Amino acid sequence: MNQHKVIKGKRPAFYEAPESDYLMHMVMVLAQELSATRDRLDTLEKLSAQKNQVTAEEIESYTPDQATLEEREARRQVFLGNLFSVMNQESAELKARDSKSRFNQVIDDIASGKID
Amino acid sequence: MTSSLLNTFQQNEHPMLVVGDADDRARQEFVKSLKTYIQQDILPLVQNAYQTRATAKFNKTHEHDPKDYREAREAFADDPIFKAYLSINRSSQELQWFSVIDGIEGEIAELEKKAEAVPKAGGTLKIDEGFVVPKYISELDIHCMPGGYCGPSDVSKLYTGALYDRGVYIYALGYMGPNNDDMGRSVCNYISRNYPDFKPTSILDMGCTVGHSTLPYAELFPESEVHAIDVSEACVTYGHYRAEGLGLPVHFKLANAEKTDYPDESFDLIVSHILLHETSKNAMPKIFKECMRLLKPGGIMIHADLPPFDDMDPYTQLILDNETWYNNEPFWTAMRNTDQIETAVEAGFKREDIKFDTAPMAIMELIGQSESYSEDMAQELTDREFTAGEYAPGGGWEVLIAQKAV
Repeated sequence: MNQHKVIKGKRPAFYEAPESDYLMHMVMVLAQELSATRDRLDTLEKLSAQKNQVTAEEIESYTPDQATLEEREARRQVFLGNLFSVMNQESAELKARDSKSRFNQVIDDIASGKID
Repeated sequence: MTSSLLNTFQQNEHPMLVVGDADDRARQEFVKSLKTYIQQDILPLVQNAYQTRATAKFNKTHEHDPKDYREAREAFADDPIFKAYLSINRSSQELQWFSVIDGIEGEIAELEKKAEAVPKAGGTLKIDEGFVVPKYISELDIHCMPGGYCGPSDVSKLYTGALYDRGVYIYALGYMGPNNDDMGRSVCNYISRNYPDFKPTSILDMGCTVGHSTLPYAELFPESEVHAIDVSEACVTYGHYRAEGLGLPVHFKLANAEKTDYPDESFDLIVSHILLHETSKNAMPKIFKECMRLLKPGGIMIHADLPPFDDMDPYTQLILDNETWYNNEPFWTAMRNTDQIETAVEAGFKREDIKFDTAPMAIMELIGQSESYSEDMAQELTDREFTAGEYAPGGGWEVLIAQKAV
């Protein structure tokens, strides 16, 4: 998981069941990825139509070479990292012993003048 | 849909901008679409749930409607539509930054080279050793931007500015114009139109981040020397190269607006854009006092930021207060509850020389800068009413203005 994708400040709980917080975020990531894939497919279709090159059969029978296999696997691993980033966030908070009470304390301290 | 037009705003390219590969861009476009949908289509559902079942439920136990944002939250906290809205909105913010990070991590080495090759425009960058970042900036990652304004310690100094530059464009849904500069441009126009005889020769932008709002001053007041300070080394460093790349001379410096080392009476004009709500109860009065010290007699300070809560209904207050709790904006609500006029009086400005006003959005004047900023879209934007939870204000930016006595 990419540790640069962690946000300092306890992530809020939105639902009674914490799993629902994971799920809603994961659905959003899936929606994002599907949308990106549709855009890429659209690009492919438009370019193919212009050049009259790629056919559905060719796409069906395409066998990826080693470099492509590696590229696709790397992309999928990044995708999975995004999908589960909300759990990575929670894990980082546990490691840093971060808490909702510290979050609340920061808000109070900034408002009351305890923090410069 | 409150809008009949599709938002296809696109950010202008410049030598330091990182947008990533085709998939990164598609993911970023998705976030822009998602945020647009949340603001235009989901928010009305939220408001309806509040006005119907939440208010009715609250009335049963309290025998009156919620009176302020605290009561509104009590009434609404358990509502499933409200909870879904909050969690989707939070995820959209996370996806926004993460989709930009992927592009930056792929291109950071190239960005370093681009910075070295950027043509010189006459600006400077000053970083003092031993600078201490205020805790109100470092305790939470503001806007949920990973690493915060100052960025993680194990990355290039250009990383966080690049993340902010692209991320903010998506966050603002392009409403800040193709160069993310609408706030600065709007305040420049406001000054030119309301103070036609005021010709500043020295300008300071406080809390400049990467200089989005700073550059219009260099463009529209070419006779003036433009200085810009921020507490983030990463932001001013990226801002310097961005400004040079865009051909505008700005003097960037790592400095805290509470206490700078510029001599007394250095500037004709001191501005800030969405800075004050990122500070603290203690810092804001110090910043106003520093403005008083740094202004020449007759000089003007203008802070473009958030209107006070006073005149807003409890629901609007609540939606805005969400930024504090769900978007890591620690001073957002407390700042709105602070009397800014009184703070300026205490800093030495005369009460009759201080006022709030609205600086009309300059976006109409950006038409033609790029294909996606069509006349219809810009007109629709300027015609909007202010709606809590949407990014851009209706029509204009709130400004606090104070002139130093001659």
